[in-house]
Amino acid sequence: MALLEVKNLDVRFAVRGGDLTALRGISFSLDKGERLGLVGESGAGKSVAAFSILNLIAQPGYIAGGQILFEGKDLAAMSERELRKIRGNRIAMIFQDPMMTLNPVLTIGTQMVEAILAHRNISKKEARAIALDRLQKVQIPSPEKRLDQYPHELSGGMRQRVIIAIALLLDPEIIIADEPTTALDVTIQAEIMDLLLNLCEQENVALMLITHDLGVVSQVTQRMLVMYSGRIIEQGPTREIINDAQHPYTQGLINALPQMGEPGERLFQIPGSMPSLKNVPKGCPFHPRCKFATEQCKQAMPEYVRSGNVNVACYEVANLIEQEKRMQEAES
Amino acid sequence: MTTATVSRWDRFRESFFWYSFKRDKVAIASFAVLLLMVLAAVFAPLLAPADPYDLAQINIMNSELPPVGMSGADPAFPLGTDAQGRDLLSTILYGTRVSLMIGFGAVILQAFLGILFGLLAGYLGGKVDAVLMRIADVQLSFSTLMVAIIVGAVFKASFGNLMFGEIAIYMLIFIIGVAEWPQIARTVRASVLAEKKKEYVDAAKVMGFGTRRIMFRHILPNTLSPIFVIATVQIANAIISEAALSFLGLGMPETQPSLGSLIKSGFDYIQSGSWWITLIPGLVLVVLVLVINLLGDWLRDVMNPRLYKG
Repeated sequence: MALLEVKNLDVRFAVRGGDLTALRGISFSLDKGERLGLVGESGAGKSVAAFSILNLIAQPGYIAGGQILFEGKDLAAMSERELRKIRGNRIAMIFQDPMMTLNPVLTIGTQMVEAILAHRNISKKEARAIALDRLQKVQIPSPEKRLDQYPHELSGGMRQRVIIAIALLLDPEIIIADEPTTALDVTIQAEIMDLLLNLCEQENVALMLITHDLGVVSQVTQRMLVMYSGRIIEQGPTREIINDAQHPYTQGLINALPQMGEPGERLFQIPGSMPSLKNVPKGCPFHPRCKFATEQCKQAMPEYVRSGNVNVACYEVANLIEQEKRMQEAES
Repeated sequence: MTTATVSRWDRFRESFFWYSFKRDKVAIASFAVLLLMVLAAVFAPLLAPADPYDLAQINIMNSELPPVGMSGADPAFPLGTDAQGRDLLSTILYGTRVSLMIGFGAVILQAFLGILFGLLAGYLGGKVDAVLMRIADVQLSFSTLMVAIIVGAVFKASFGNLMFGEIAIYMLIFIIGVAEWPQIARTVRASVLAEKKKEYVDAAKVMGFGTRRIMFRHILPNTLSPIFVIATVQIANAIISEAALSFLGLGMPETQPSLGSLIKSGFDYIQSGSWWITLIPGLVLVVLVLVINLLGDWLRDVMNPRLYKG
């Protein structure tokens, strides 16, 4: 059984003039110690997906359907009290901006000790020892001093290390990292990513990495999901997708990487922009920007088809597979 | 910072707060005067030459003696005496004590109610917010004095003068505290609305903290600066409210006068030439309120998050 299994998750936002569907039929699973990447443009629903796993979508958002099974128990149907025992304790989360996620008026030590005491029935002294241990694990210089410092006394990179240390405090099974390096310097980004990767391997923690950096995803994760307009359009082993993307959107994303361009030439870009949730086009949401779009694409959302180990939602890919099959049959 | 562990005192001495205090002469002077007055009030029983509450020490023959330096003055009464022959210096010391007690007491009550309701309204929002803030609006639409006069009069009528004298100080704290809590509640609510959208609140939720812990442990400390500023000003306001009530005869009884009731008791004799009974407590009251307000102004400048971040 997978550690975390999301089945057909629908998340909607109740706004004036009806509901907006932010996530539609999201299904994926995460095994113990596995590292999963979640990529997509801004507004594709990556962060909403992360928050809904913890059942923490802010009003007016709500889970409209589907299940989030953590060790077989449905988080979407749990009481607030039960959820609190899981948040931070079994599933931890790392946010984008380390400047914002630490409480500015409490010392690092206080915040860490609080987080431990919220879940464990131990003394303050023991909690402080755990906090110190985690700060050492994230390789912060002079960790003991940091416990008594306030967030504003630390640099951005150090703060993100503290946040990783907080995520590790209670030995969670899953860490959800929502763009953990976007707010940092490029040099620090690599350091923090390495650290996160090593710690997850060491402690056998499953990592769900949300990012729009395909480079990071290909280095860190074993499997990846590509999201577009609230849907997963392609999912499978990272290597297969990066090397041979099936969905035209994923292909576009990979071709748009600066590394893929020739010197002196303009970089590739996918024409148009992602539709707003208010007017998602009928059929495949990507069809207005897709060069392979046909009449069929405008009618209904394509079903997932399997190509190698990858699941893709695209008529074009389905047709190609169909063709191949027929050719093979004709040959034999 | 050279040492590994930094004590609170070191931190304070390096803070912007202390730095700007050292550089502001008005703030230093105000603080010195306030400290002096508070100390004098606290140690009134040791400092005062006489006990104005002790009827045995009062001699009616000494009534309306002028302050030292005027003809007919008695050196035993440096600031003169009031109409009942009480030493004015001692009475003022005790009166300042009463005024300060009411001022601080009322603001503590205000802060308690204001912070509690402000946090609840701001953080929970929705119906809780609507109900609490409408109550606050209703409360604010009555003037403090009017409410105080009605409640005070009712109590005075139902308990009788003697009983009222005993509980007057608590009554005044209660009346002024309850009448002014919306001021603090509104300020707290406004800051909470801004704070609760910040990511550290999301992070706290993700860590599995409960609503109560997030409200009091994480959001409240971030809203303290405006509370400090407004509380300082409110102390001055409470002292003035109390003086006004006492002047109207609904505050402290003359047997244990506050500054306000002293001013009132002297007011009846001002035409007969005994100006000091009103003027000297009046001056003390003005200085007390002025220094508190000056400190409040300075605090507002220092703690304004738009001027200084950190």
